[in-house]
Amino acid sequence: MASPIRILTAVPICDGHDSAINTINLEFIRHGIEVIYLGYHRSVGDIVRAAIQEDVRAIGISSYNGGHIEFFAEVVNLLRKKGADDIKVFGGGGGTITHDDAAIMKRKGVEEVFFAGTSLDDMMKFVHQRYGKPRAKRSQAKSFDQELAHRLTEIEDAAAGRKKIRNSKFEIRTSRRSRVIGFTGPGGAGKTTLIDELVLRFLNQNPKGRIAILSHDPSVVGEGALLGDRATMINSQDDRVFMRSMATRGQAGGLSPATHDCLALLARSEFDYVIIETVGTGQEAMPFQKNGIVDLTVLVMNPDYGSRLQLQKIVMLDLADIVVVNKSDLQRARTAHTEIEQRLEQNRPARGSLGEGGRSQQLIDTVAKRHRDPGVDRLFDLISSGNLVGRDRLARRTKGSK
Amino acid sequence: MSKLGQVVESVESYGKFVLDQVKRARTDEKFGRELLGRWNDIKAKIPITRTPTGLPLPRLALPEIDETGEIARYLFGEGLPGEFPYLNGAYREMYLEPVREIESFERNDAVAAGVSPANRIKTQPARLPPQEEPTRLFSGLMLAEDTNERFHYLTRHQRTHRLSTAFDGPTLYGIDSDADGVFGKVGEGGVAIDTVEDMVRLYDGFDLGSPNFSASMTISGPAPIIMAMYIAAATRRFGPKVVPKLRGTIQADIFKEVQAQNETIFPIEPSLRFLTDMVEFTTREMPRWYPISISGYHIGEAGSTPVQQAAYTLSNGFAYVEMFAARGIPVDQFGPRLSFFLDCALDAEYIALARVSRRIWAIGMRDVFGAGPKAQLYKLHTQTSGRSLIAAEFKNNLTRTAAELVLAYINATNSCHSNSADEPFTTPSEEWIRLAAHGQAILLEESGIFKHTMNMLSGSPGMKAVERAVEAAILDEFREIERLGGVLSAVEERYQRSQIQNAAHRYEQQIYDGTRPIIGLNRYRDGADDIPDVKLARTPRSKQQLQVDRLAKFKKKNAEKGKRALDKLAEVVERGENCFPSLLEAAEVCSLGQITSRLQEVVGRFRPMV
Repeated sequence: MASPIRILTAVPICDGHDSAINTINLEFIRHGIEVIYLGYHRSVGDIVRAAIQEDVRAIGISSYNGGHIEFFAEVVNLLRKKGADDIKVFGGGGGTITHDDAAIMKRKGVEEVFFAGTSLDDMMKFVHQRYGKPRAKRSQAKSFDQELAHRLTEIEDAAAGRKKIRNSKFEIRTSRRSRVIGFTGPGGAGKTTLIDELVLRFLNQNPKGRIAILSHDPSVVGEGALLGDRATMINSQDDRVFMRSMATRGQAGGLSPATHDCLALLARSEFDYVIIETVGTGQEAMPFQKNGIVDLTVLVMNPDYGSRLQLQKIVMLDLADIVVVNKSDLQRARTAHTEIEQRLEQNRPARGSLGEGGRSQQLIDTVAKRHRDPGVDRLFDLISSGNLVGRDRLARRTKGSK
Repeated sequence: MSKLGQVVESVESYGKFVLDQVKRARTDEKFGRELLGRWNDIKAKIPITRTPTGLPLPRLALPEIDETGEIARYLFGEGLPGEFPYLNGAYREMYLEPVREIESFERNDAVAAGVSPANRIKTQPARLPPQEEPTRLFSGLMLAEDTNERFHYLTRHQRTHRLSTAFDGPTLYGIDSDADGVFGKVGEGGVAIDTVEDMVRLYDGFDLGSPNFSASMTISGPAPIIMAMYIAAATRRFGPKVVPKLRGTIQADIFKEVQAQNETIFPIEPSLRFLTDMVEFTTREMPRWYPISISGYHIGEAGSTPVQQAAYTLSNGFAYVEMFAARGIPVDQFGPRLSFFLDCALDAEYIALARVSRRIWAIGMRDVFGAGPKAQLYKLHTQTSGRSLIAAEFKNNLTRTAAELVLAYINATNSCHSNSADEPFTTPSEEWIRLAAHGQAILLEESGIFKHTMNMLSGSPGMKAVERAVEAAILDEFREIERLGGVLSAVEERYQRSQIQNAAHRYEQQIYDGTRPIIGLNRYRDGADDIPDVKLARTPRSKQQLQVDRLAKFKKKNAEKGKRALDKLAEVVERGENCFPSLLEAAEVCSLGQITSRLQEVVGRFRPMV
């Protein structure tokens, strides 16, 4: 089975008209397409960066606020400049784009412009016909990010059974320097916002550092997926952030069949940190158990988890190095903190057997949506201090010392 | 319970109050007699007007009732036009033509009985014709001087100058024209404003302090900054004494931006805080200014149902009132300076949407917020629906807009904008703008539907049925918002947003499957689409470059002072004080983008909701 088509959609800078694109995104998903949605009010640089990192087949731009001739042309030109003109550009803008405009835009390299009244079916047909065929062989990548993106695509394609890849090529290098932090937790707990806030702190503290994010969203039945994390991120639209969105493509447990290899590749690609975010997970999920690459795991909880008995069933409460109660401005947050604290207490005796000092899980309250939230500051300090050694790494170390 | 919950209760208990009055009018003989007396008195005082064919008509139409209970139901439940709870109109006469001949009610009987017209009593008009031409054409293009020229052209024959300003994308998002990747957007779809100098150029030649001048600025995210620039520009030209005389309005509606229009630049709470800072200032220093226009239009255009539009607009309004009152601004001071803006499309709800809104607002303002009569008025501007206009066989759009105008006037909107039929294609052209404006004139001046008699089309059984259904549905929406912890929590939980998106999706689906007939599109389509002759005013690159160059010069000239002003502004915001006075200082020497980014450093940026 081939990999689904990946498309990036966005609305240009200074334009908030997202009604049309929302409808079109849903239609893409229904037709088996994976849509990386970047959101509205996005600059040319943000769009091209994301398209290259996500290694999409095409960019769909929905523009209703004028300036489309320049904007579309700038996207095409920047793609060319970055050696990424294998990524095509199409779009529309209802009645705001005239036929004359469209002719100019096509001359400037835009593949197709849809006018008011185009049926969704016609758009879907266009995308399938134009971008559904296997990619032609690509020339040498022009940048590190592009090379990385291409190789991540190869891994995803291999997992989808399209190509064979020699396993050795993606082996984990033991002397890697990235720290890999895993974020998991139920949907709606605020993982993406929290990560975006941590990225802001990282970028401020490390003027030259780089960070990678591997984010996951579920595929829906029939292959398509809406990968929308980027749309709500404001700090991660930065050249020093490499982000890749993956669809789970039918695999349960919060990750994709290709996650392990992709993460391994990112982990040895000399980022200071690699952050991996699972889809919203259920109680029994333990997404990072098998892959052995994650150094530190963070469970992000919503204060509304139900009765305290529910806590007994959440496996990640045994495994996570840090438990975050996000949205701690909610009324229930204090109760949640107390109950989770007690739940973590249960884990302590077992820790003793791990050897010197055991390890203590940390519990932190955050309000990720709040600017300069002190809870997020604490979480960042905890992660960046490196003092907290994750369970996985500790286990490996213990093994190694034997 | 939040204030919105109390509003629900107040509307319900007002309903009970009306029923009680009905009962009392029927059982309490004295009360009933008084009511009947008042009713007959009202009827007796209604002036008579004469149509061009000579038919005498009362200037106010009332239901044919003489039973005391029904009289009570009408007077308390609806109110006469201009009387609480204002169901029939915020003012007494609305669109009525100036009185030419007035006769007493008794005379009318005499006329009908064949008494000679010479016996008619002629009196002076009870009310002078409106002093202002209602024209306020939305305009904004290219650079400030281009828009200024356009303003002068549009108002060249008018005594009163009512300017309505559209801003370009970068300005709406608080970004400078020299920002990365916005060059092509400079001056597109509106005027480019970066600095106080642009603001001076924009309104050059107009007497900003004159009672015949008013400026409307359609901008929300950076509204307090743009407001500060406007005041700074006015002060530069006319000195500080002009400030209390400034008239006009700025949109500044943060809630609807987050719910529907996506032009928000700071997180919600600081956005609301800056807004309140501005309202506190204008209420105190600029008594003739309308500091916020509470807008349902964009909610409707984003795809909401009519009920959602009315409910979210009202609840947003009540949330603002609660917020301003919590700041200590007296409700009777800011209340009369609030105004509303609704969409009017073709769904049945629009027969009474604004009528019901006016009633709920009046009851809530009076009974929950203790507002006096002036602060109870839901002053409404209506625009016909842009979304209802389609490209296929676009000339049908004239009919759609005309029908929407009729609905808007039935609702006694205070002012109205009619869309041009060529809107689905482009910024409207002169030809179609003229037709749209004439649509209003034909209905109000040429036709006899609205100019002779108030309530001409009000009060039909169908309209009453729509009123009841719409009011119940709006209160249901209020209850849901209340259950979510009030407007702010509901907004943060994306409640309104998801409801609107869902409704938009359903609407598209209905068009697609034909259950929502759109003539010329999914019904009676002949396939041949005509396209209007589109001439677009695009901003030349040379102008965009000029704007960028000017901005660079301004920044260089004010580098030192600008930095100090921004530092001070940041400190004030950090301390949690009203930042508007510091914004005024900063507006003198800083660009819009500089102020926006500095404020964002302190309070953060808006995180988009999807």
